[in-house]
Parts: sequence; C-alpha cells; structure tokens
Amino acid sequence: MLSLQHISKYYQTGGNKAYVLNDLSLDIDQGEFVSIMGPSGSGKSTLLNIIGMLDEPTNGYHYFMEQPVHQLKEKQRSALYKQYIGFVFQAYHLIDELTVYENIETPLIYQNIKGAERKALVADMLDRFNIVGKKDLFPAQLSGGQQQLVGIARALIGKPKLLLADEPTGNLNSKQGEEIMELFSKINKEDGVTIIQVTHSEKNAEYGSRIINLLDGRIESTTTL
Amino acid sequence: MLKNYLKTAWRNLWKGRVFNIMNIIGLSVAVACCIMLFLTVYYEFSYDKFHTNLDKIHQLYFTKNGADKVEKSTSMPAPLTPAVKAEYQDIKYITRMGNGGTIVRYGNKQIEESIRFVDQDFLKMFTFPVVKGDNASPLKDLNNVVISEFVATAIFGKTNPVGKSIELNYSGEPRSFVVSAVVKDFPQNSSINFDLLLRFENAPEYQANMKSWDHHDHNVFVQLNDNVKPAVFDARLQSFVKKAFKTTIADMKRDGARPDAQGNVYTLNLLPFAYNHFDTELVGLEGNSVNKTYVMALLAIGIFILVIACINFVNLSVARAFTRAREVGVRKTLGANKWQLLSQFWIETLLVCLFALVLGIVIANFALPGFKATFRSQISMNMLLQPVQLAVITGLFILITIIAGLYPALLMMRYKTVMVLKGTVNTVKPGKVRNILLVTQFSLSSLLIVCTLVTWQQIDYLKSKPLGYSKDEVVSIPVGNSVNGARSLELFRNQLNGEPDVVAVSGAYDNMGSGKDGSTRTSIIGFTYKGHDIHTNIQGVSYDYAKTMGIKLLEGRDFSREFTTDSNAVVVNEKMAAQLGGKNVVGTYLPMDDKKPSLIVGVMKNFHFRSLRSEIEPLTLVLSGYEMNYIFVKVRPQNLSKTFSMIERKWKQTFPNADFQGSWVNENTERQYKAEQRLSTIFISGAIIAIIISCIGLLAISFMIMVQRTKEIGIRKVLGANIAGLVLLLSRDFLKLVLLAALIAFPLAWWLMSKWLQSFVYRIDIEWWIFALAAFIAVGIAFITVSFQSIKAALANPVRSLRSE
Repeated sequence: MLSLQHISKYYQTGGNKAYVLNDLSLDIDQGEFVSIMGPSGSGKSTLLNIIGMLDEPTNGYHYFMEQPVHQLKEKQRSALYKQYIGFVFQAYHLIDELTVYENIETPLIYQNIKGAERKALVADMLDRFNIVGKKDLFPAQLSGGQQQLVGIARALIGKPKLLLADEPTGNLNSKQGEEIMELFSKINKEDGVTIIQVTHSEKNAEYGSRIINLLDGRIESTTTL
Repeated sequence: MLKNYLKTAWRNLWKGRVFNIMNIIGLSVAVACCIMLFLTVYYEFSYDKFHTNLDKIHQLYFTKNGADKVEKSTSMPAPLTPAVKAEYQDIKYITRMGNGGTIVRYGNKQIEESIRFVDQDFLKMFTFPVVKGDNASPLKDLNNVVISEFVATAIFGKTNPVGKSIELNYSGEPRSFVVSAVVKDFPQNSSINFDLLLRFENAPEYQANMKSWDHHDHNVFVQLNDNVKPAVFDARLQSFVKKAFKTTIADMKRDGARPDAQGNVYTLNLLPFAYNHFDTELVGLEGNSVNKTYVMALLAIGIFILVIACINFVNLSVARAFTRAREVGVRKTLGANKWQLLSQFWIETLLVCLFALVLGIVIANFALPGFKATFRSQISMNMLLQPVQLAVITGLFILITIIAGLYPALLMMRYKTVMVLKGTVNTVKPGKVRNILLVTQFSLSSLLIVCTLVTWQQIDYLKSKPLGYSKDEVVSIPVGNSVNGARSLELFRNQLNGEPDVVAVSGAYDNMGSGKDGSTRTSIIGFTYKGHDIHTNIQGVSYDYAKTMGIKLLEGRDFSREFTTDSNAVVVNEKMAAQLGGKNVVGTYLPMDDKKPSLIVGVMKNFHFRSLRSEIEPLTLVLSGYEMNYIFVKVRPQNLSKTFSMIERKWKQTFPNADFQGSWVNENTERQYKAEQRLSTIFISGAIIAIIISCIGLLAISFMIMVQRTKEIGIRKVLGANIAGLVLLLSRDFLKLVLLAALIAFPLAWWLMSKWLQSFVYRIDIEWWIFALAAFIAVGIAFITVSFQSIKAALANPVRSLRSE
C-alpha cells in the first residue's frame, strides 16, 4: 500500500545539512498496524507528516496506492489524500467554532457529499462511538478523551484506507489512552483500516503489529509482534 | 455547503466580536460618508444633463484683452442676437435671456415671481417640456406668457391656466398677458430656473436698448447646427465682432490692449453650456456655479475615507487571521482545498461588509439632514435607487470584499500546515504590507490635518483682517422689491431720527458683503479721460455714507446737503485717484457723462468693498442715478442686540408689507467666505473620521503585536525592565511609522494648500509650525491609541506569559 524509498529530509543551516530523515526506506502493507517509536528529534513526526502528505521530503521516492506521490501535482496529491487518509492529532485539533456533529461532518463537505448522505454517515459514526448525546456540544465542553474520540470519528468519517495518528494518547490519562488504543485495534481488525501511529509509550506501541524504532532519522530496528 | 459556511462564518464573527465590531463601525462610518459625498459629487456632475441638446448649446461671452488684464463678460447688447442670427447660417437656434421680477395679479390673488425674457427658440433649445397648452409655439404672440407647473399651482390652484389672463407689473405699469402654456417644473439640478417666461420684446426699455450696442444686460445662448464645430464657429464670429464693435476695438487699441494669439483684442466666444455648472471664472452665469476643486475635494475625501477603512479592514482581518491559522491548518488536513477555504473567508468578509453597508445606509439616513445643511447639498437617499448608483454600489461592494477578504485569506493559506499544527506560526515577522498600509492611512490623515489647519488659519485671517470700514456696528437692510429705495430710505431715516443709539443712516446701490437677500450688484463704467480709458466701479450712495460706514476721507469732503451741486459730484477712492494721475484730483471734473462732467469733491482711503479674494479696485461714489437697494444704519456699540431689535421693530412699523432682512455687516462679510468655511468643515470632518478609522486599525494592530511579543515582554520584565521603558519600546515602532507617514504627506499638503491659497489675493503664508503641529497631533493620537495596548502588555504578569511556552 505504501512504499518509501531512500527518503531524506534536511534543512540547510549555514554550510551544514541538518538531517531529520536520512535515507530511510519503509514498506507498509494493507491492514497493518504500525507503531513508530523513538526519542525526541528522531524524525517520527516528520516521517508521519511525509506519509500523510502534509510535508514533502527533500529527496526520495514515495508511492501510495500504486501512485508515485513524489511526482504528483498538488491537486492530485490533495485528491489522493482526501480519499484515502485520515489524521488524528495529539492536540485533537477540533475546530472550536463547530459542534461535535459539525466537526465530524466537515470532511464530508470537502468531499462534496450530499446533505442527506452526510446526515446518515455522521449519525452512524455518532452511534458507533456512543457520542450521540454529545453531538450538539462544542469541543470546549468535552473532556480530553471525548475530544480525541471525536477526532478519531472525524478521521474515519471519510472511510480512509490509512489512519495516521501523531501521539494520539499524548494528552490523555492512562485509562482514556487505553480506551483509544482498544478502539484503534478494533478499527484495524474489523474495518481493515491500516494504522500508523507515533507514540512514546511502549505499552501503546504493543497494540500494533509492527514497531519501528527511529534514531537520528534512520530506522534503528523493526520488531514484528 | 453554503449553510455550513454561513454558520461557521457567523460563529467566527461572534467569537471575534470585539474586532468585528470595530471593523464594522469603521467601515459603516466610511460607507455613510462615501454615500453622502459620492452622491453629492454625482449630483453636481448631473447638472443640466437633462437637456437633450446639452452638447450643442453654448453661451456667448466677450473677451476683452485689455492692457493689464483679460476681462470676460457674458452680458450682451440687445441688437446682437438678431444681427448674429442674420449673419450666420450655422446657428440653428438662438435666444436672449434677460431677468426681471414682477408682481403677478390674478383675480384678487397677488404674488411675486421672477421673469425670464426670452426669444421663441428658448423652448426649442432647452428641455423644458410643455405639459399643458400650446406645444408648437408657446411664445408666438407678444402677450403670451409661459409658466411653470409650480407657479401654475400657486396662482391658479387646480383650474387649468391655459388661456387665462394674468396681470404683470414689472415696469411700473400693469400689463395683461395670456397664459399660453404650462411647462414641466425644471429639476433641482438645473442651472436655468424660472417662474414666468415672456417674450424678450417685453423687456423694459427694449426699444431703446435695441438701438444701443453699448448697453449689455442679458445672456445669449445659441444652438449650432449639428455639423458645425464650436471652435470653427468661434473663429468665424470674429469678423462680425470687428464690424459691429469697431469703436470699442479702436478705443481698446488706443489704450494699449494686448491682442491674443489670433491678433484680436475683443472677441465673442462660446462657452459650452455643459461646462456652465463648473465655470466659476466667468461672471454672470446662470445658476450657482460650483468650483470643480470643491467637488473634487469631496470626491478625494470620500476616496480617502474609503481607502482608509478598507486598509483597516485588511489589517483587522489579518490580525484575526493570525489567530485562526490553526483552523486553516486543520481544515486543510480534513481535505479542504484552496478555493473552499477562500470562499469560506470571502463569505465571512461578505457578511461583515453587508452589516457595514446596511449600518452605513442607516447612519447616512440619520446624518443626511445635517450634511445637507452644512454642505448645501441637494441629495436624497432615493438617489441611491437609480440603476447607475445601484450598479456602482454593488460593484464597489464586491470589489472591496474581494480585496479586503482575499488578501488575509491568502496570507493564512501561506502558513505551512505542519507548522501551524505544531503551533510555531507565532514567529511571523511584522508584515511589510501592514506597515505600508499603516503609513498610507496616516499619510492621508496627516494630509487632512494640514488642510484643516491651513483653511482655519486662512479663514481666521479673512475674518480678522481690517477692511478699511467699520463692519461691527453697522446694520445693512435690503430694501426689497415692494418699496421704492430712495423714498423708503428717506422715510426710514426720519423714523430713526432722534433714536439715541443710532449714529447715522445712509443708503447704497450695492451691499457690503453678502446680505440675507443673497444679491450682489456690480456696476462698472468706462470713459475716456485725458486720452486714457478709465474703468471704475460705481457705487450709488446717499448722504452720510462715509460717516455711516466709517470710511476715512483723505482729501476734500463727503457729499453734503449744503451743496445743491452735489447731485453731480463724485467721491473716489485712492485707487481711482491714482488712476486719474494721483495728486490734486479734488476739484477736477470727470467726463463720466458726455453732457455733464462730474466734480470730484473728495478722495477716500481704500477699503475692501469686495471680498478679500480680489484686489481693491477703483471706486467712484455717486449721489444720483442709482437705486437705493440697501439701507445702512450705524449704531452705538452698546446694546447691539437691543438696538437691532429696535431697528427691526421700526422697519416693520414703517413698511408693514416688506420683509425685514437686515443683518450686521460683519455677518455679511463673513458670509462671503461661506464656501471656504464649507471647505474647512469638509476637511475637519474628513480629518476626524479618517483619524478615528485609522486609530481603530492601529488599535487592532497593536493588539496583535502585543500578543506576538508577550513572551519578549515577559522576559524583559524578568530581566528588570520598567513599565515606562516597556511602553516606550512597544510604542516606538508605531510612532516611527506615523511620523514617516506625516513626512510623506507634508509636501503634497503644502502643494495643495498653496494652490488653494493662490485663489486669494490676501492670504497667509504656510508656516513650518503648521506641519510641526500636524505631526504632533498625528503622533500624539497614535501614541494614545497604542498605549492602551502597550500599557496593558507591560503591566501583565510575566509568569503567566512565560508559563504558556
């Protein structure tokens, strides 16, 4: 599903190149649940952002769903992204001015889905996540765990093939974190959504099927569970 | 999708309501100003446009290239029109137009109306359509009268006036006329206005005037054939002038006239009637001509205010956008594309602008009466509903929303999504664009401040400059049409005789300054004296004129009842005396009239009998031959208002049928500068509004900057900076920009105001301190505005700002 070959990302500081990712190659198959670990500054988030097309590598080849992403134009990339990828953030990044319902609905609007269909899809999702009663609340009225639940619901509403999560439990307590991770493995198993998460927690990493350890922009080790 | 956009837009607007209310207030005030200013400008430009033949109609005027100056005059001699018409095939229509006033009597009704004496072509040239009566040739017979609908209602009420007989008394004896047609009322934006139209042949002294080429007393309009170019016709007219005004031209050449480029000293020219409303150079045009600079000043100030408000809008939106960068980033990760985001922000802008527009129209509605009174504007809000205005408003509206909404939106798009989501976007550098916009705003504001200061100073100078006569203790009373001037003067003089507060009573042909009747009269005569052509203003006066007006006599004496020969005597001013050779003019005779030379009995000190826009010209006072149109009463300086009421009471007792329109002469002289005062009111209002709107923008920007610099302020405080030092540090950047703006504005302001001052013969010099004061005002106001935020930021607890990092 996803293939990164000889990906590098560096910043020019003075005469030196500061490498964030250094000649990194990685293949991920459909249905995998990958956890990326590593110390601060090892390039985890950058890697995730490149996979999620929010960031571009300095050089290297990037294939996603058989498409050469590194050759695509902005518009095509955006279309690809819209269709296949969902994003979950550590800081949830819900839109404060929108209700739970509207937050979940927003990606569908950008995919030009008709109103009636949107209604049905959002209702399903609210149902599934057990947050029907909260649909008219604003993010500020929810706890962190609930906000992240909404964030995940929003990421899944467009039926993505790939879910990217940047420290999804980083701002949550351990119980809330556990619930989120349970949810992730359920989504992975039942819906067949490929998941790539960045995490600091060994325990959370073990929910996945493969753990990739990064150090200084390179893959240090890979553990398959 | 639209519903969703509107919903988010509304919530966002509500969330940022402090910003948005500032934004809307600024913008709606600007909208209100622009509506009123632009409508006024439009109205002024719409003058006379309703005439279907406007482009083909021209007014005749003479140009006299004298030895020391070029004089232009629109007054024509009566025989000229038939002669020109007979001579030139190019003329399609030609009409004379003379003025008069009359008492109209119908049944037992009696009212005063004005008359235009015109030729038959008048109604063919100008678009004053006949609504009732003879449409083909309404002025066919000499005893026909054409009236306007307004007058028809005033005289006849609901009955049909066509065919009815009315009695007009305009020349001392009543004559009967038959109403042949009623014409539609002329619109307000018509230079030519009239109550009654009579054939020119009915004008007083018509027979005598037809024999004289020297008596110029009416206007002439021509409409050329469609294929005739005005410039060509203009040139062709000169052969006629050379023939008809042979002696005038010979006299002028003798006195050293300077010929124009074509070698002519005396020419007849065409003024396109379309320019009539803006031509303030030619004296004696119909209607109230306005100076184009004045209209352009209105337009410029309207544009300034709009630009300043739009800049504000952009700056405020950018400030807001800065806090919304995260939302943009999130939306991008949710799959929003550029156009979707742009249209979302555009809709928000649209909403704000729509609010502002509606509020602006409401404000304009409330402000309109005051505006109309102050700026003598004739506009109404209904004018907005015409298709042109609607199109312009819609176009301008959309343009503004695009410019003001798109730029901040594009700015937000530029943020890197990853950075925004990480929260590192705070490090954006202070925008160059923002600084440029700020400088533009304050340049315009400083420009208006300088204009205000200069006009104030000049008006103050005009008001306080000694005029050479006493204006504070003299009441001027226009006599009006209903009573005879000379007789009423005698009557009123007797009435006031013995009043302890009255010092002297006199009368004159022309007023001092501009009275409540609004009329001014100019009478200039020319004659040959010792082989020179002499021109002088003539003022017909009564006894005690010099005493009443406080005019100093240098030599000789004033007119006196003790000398019966004084009916043929004159008193001249220094300027006139100089023209006559200077020394010892008292006792010499002036051949003003061929048969009876006038004796100069006195020379008076120069005084400003006209406004300070022009130099003092030669002036000759005469005792007889001129109507007494104004009565002057000099009073004692004590109890001025009581004395004034006494005079009014006496007037009403003496002339129960005549209005009392008396006023102090100093009010009259100030009234001469009404146009200047209006201009200064425009400048000051423009300046205040511009500054307020600019400051709203400055407030928002300073707010944004303070947020950006919170951390820096916290660190500085921890390191020991004091509050005053911090406030100065935070304000300094802004003050530098405002000062720069002022410096940019000054050369332009200096240039503009020196041009304006050139229209005054007596004027102030623009001093350096005006600029210093303007800069001080601009910087001071900016400092106060910024310090709201900077003091708050400097006082904030550093622990809080540093903890958030």
